[in-house]
Amino acid sequence: MSLDPARYAELFRTESHEQLAAINRALLALEQGGEAAGPLAVIFRAVHTVKGMSASMGYTAVAAFAHEVESVLDTIRRGDQRPGADVMDVLFASADALEGGLETATESAGQSPAMAAALERLRALAGSRFAGRLSRGELPPESESEATTPMPAADPLGGPGVIVRVRQSAGALLPGVRAFLVVEKLRALGDVGAVWPPIEVLQTSEVPRSFAMRVSTLASAGEIEAAVRSAGDVEHVEVDLAARTRRESNVALEVAGRVEAAPAGGKVTRHVRMDLARLDTLMDLIGELVITRGRLLALTADYGKGPLDEAMQQAAKLIGDLQSEIMTSRMVPVWQVFDRFPRLVRDASRQLRKDVVFLVDGKDIELDRSLLDEVGEPVVHLLRNAVDHGIETPAERAAAGKPRAGRLVLSAARDRAAIVIRVSDDGRGIDRARVLERAKAAGLVGGSATELDDEDLLRCIAHPGFSTVDAVSDLSGRGVGLDAVQAKARMLGGSVTLKSVEGEGTAFTLRIPATLAIVRALLARCGPERYALPLTHVRETLEFGEHTVQRVRGSEVLVLRDEILPLLYLRDVVRQGGVGDAQREIVVIERGEKRTGLVVDELIGQQDVVVKQFDAARESLPLFSGATILADGAPALIMDLGSLFGGV
Amino acid sequence: MVGDILQQAGFEVVGEAETGTQAVEKYKQLRPDLVTMDIVMPDMGGIEAVREITKFDPGAKVLMCSAMGQQALVVEAIQAGAKDFVVKPFQPSRVLEAVQRVLG
Repeated sequence: MSLDPARYAELFRTESHEQLAAINRALLALEQGGEAAGPLAVIFRAVHTVKGMSASMGYTAVAAFAHEVESVLDTIRRGDQRPGADVMDVLFASADALEGGLETATESAGQSPAMAAALERLRALAGSRFAGRLSRGELPPESESEATTPMPAADPLGGPGVIVRVRQSAGALLPGVRAFLVVEKLRALGDVGAVWPPIEVLQTSEVPRSFAMRVSTLASAGEIEAAVRSAGDVEHVEVDLAARTRRESNVALEVAGRVEAAPAGGKVTRHVRMDLARLDTLMDLIGELVITRGRLLALTADYGKGPLDEAMQQAAKLIGDLQSEIMTSRMVPVWQVFDRFPRLVRDASRQLRKDVVFLVDGKDIELDRSLLDEVGEPVVHLLRNAVDHGIETPAERAAAGKPRAGRLVLSAARDRAAIVIRVSDDGRGIDRARVLERAKAAGLVGGSATELDDEDLLRCIAHPGFSTVDAVSDLSGRGVGLDAVQAKARMLGGSVTLKSVEGEGTAFTLRIPATLAIVRALLARCGPERYALPLTHVRETLEFGEHTVQRVRGSEVLVLRDEILPLLYLRDVVRQGGVGDAQREIVVIERGEKRTGLVVDELIGQQDVVVKQFDAARESLPLFSGATILADGAPALIMDLGSLFGGV
Repeated sequence: MVGDILQQAGFEVVGEAETGTQAVEKYKQLRPDLVTMDIVMPDMGGIEAVREITKFDPGAKVLMCSAMGQQALVVEAIQAGAKDFVVKPFQPSRVLEAVQRVLG
């Protein structure tokens, strides 16, 4: 038993995940050459931290494994040779094993097979290269193991009192003394019953670290936090009052008072961990509230100006504020997913013996939490494709007069209500002639076609089962998985576009709404029905008139600032039939660089609509991405505008 | 050095002492809001001076100035009554942060 493991398991997982990300980043930097001391120090520190954290959680197998990794790192750090490819491989494998071990540590105490395998390789490495210089197996004795001392069987912090957990900031000078100061500050509030690791060990520590103590005090969580922070160089404080009250309560908010020290400014951001399901419920509720607001506004409008209208307007504004707050609280930066891609690209390019420089841009762009996880999978597909099919081997590139290393860029950017994610490479581009040949054989294009534009190209290669690759690569498999990418993008209410130039490269662009649950849409009427057109794909609107609509070779087109765009009638699209009103309006919709005019009977206005996903309908109704309830309570379908451009 | 940083930040330096004994005397005379104290001082050491000052004024606010590797001495100084510490080489921002913490 240790510090109430269940309570801290989640926090531990998050923090160790951050450390692993740092390890992977630094390993990549180390492998790419350049100065080795910096990355090595980062890796060493992160592994050390993981070791300490695991030990204090009682995950001794992980801690022992981390210790072995640390030993090898230490030897490398002391040596004057930079680690070669073989050592790097073992280190990468060890990082993976560590990650796997951490994932399962909360459930099983033993050593994972991956850890055992990596351990063997580490020891082989130690045997061949660093013979006699590595300690093996057991954790080192007390004296040098301050950070790794596993929790003893009996909980040293057991008993009544408040449990305070502290993590020091990375830049702390004389961190041991700072830790001592924390204890001193808490003594001013009450009785410090126990400290783990023991204060004698703690106060001589030369690296910033985490520690915990039990305090008997009547002070509030806030006062305790303030006292701890007044000791300086404190990055993280948790105050656990549960032991004081002796109540095993089911608190929804996992951690009370998680405080992160701001840089020098002194402004403190407080974080509360929250169950995601709760956030979803809040989102649903605010969605219903937004709909109700619309209905109320419509109803109160009949009563004219007056106190009721005034109150209603204020309530409407407050609901709007509440909605945007909840939406904002769901936003997370894309790096949370992007951070694992450098490693993925590295592994893929090594496996395929390609040289790839991978760049990531726009890491801070924020996306709704529920979309973020969904976005990872298509991006993985696109990155793997780029390394596998796009970028040539160094020899091929050299022969083509290109730099030996290919360039792969992943970028995220915000464009109005949408997030644009682009994966572009400077590889060989897609072989159009070959795709055309296959597409003809598969009956995807007419036999007379002689050329494929980017649009058609994407439609062909994204066709399920379509492949120009004869050999099955175990990396991207048969077929390029683009159908999966496209399906996912559409499921999220977005679209995929492609731009490929032979010999120069390929770029896939994924455009998805920044938030999933509520989208800003244009309401359009077509006959008696109303449809919601998400603004993600709306460029502009104009009136239907003689000067804008002309006839070219028998079909109507839209003339827009010297540009000629195809024209679609929503009436035809939804197979409503009939002629429609004389007075019509046009919505210019876009996907990538492609634009189309969509003729509707009437534009009703812009509105936030709450998306209700409908299941299984994707098969039967490919035109719609969901449904919504309008202000008057009537349902309306949400159009998948991307689908109007053709494609799967 | 620390005096310069404090003066630049708008603090007034009311007195300076060369030795530990002098530091204790000046403290009794001037009753400053804050004392910065080197760990190593001629005649009476910095730690002893902190102890004397705290004995005279339990509310005294003493900030220790230490070098890397003086963990044990700083811990002792804190036990003697020092409220916080800064580590050489001094970074103005860190010094001012520590001063703010001590002055609370």
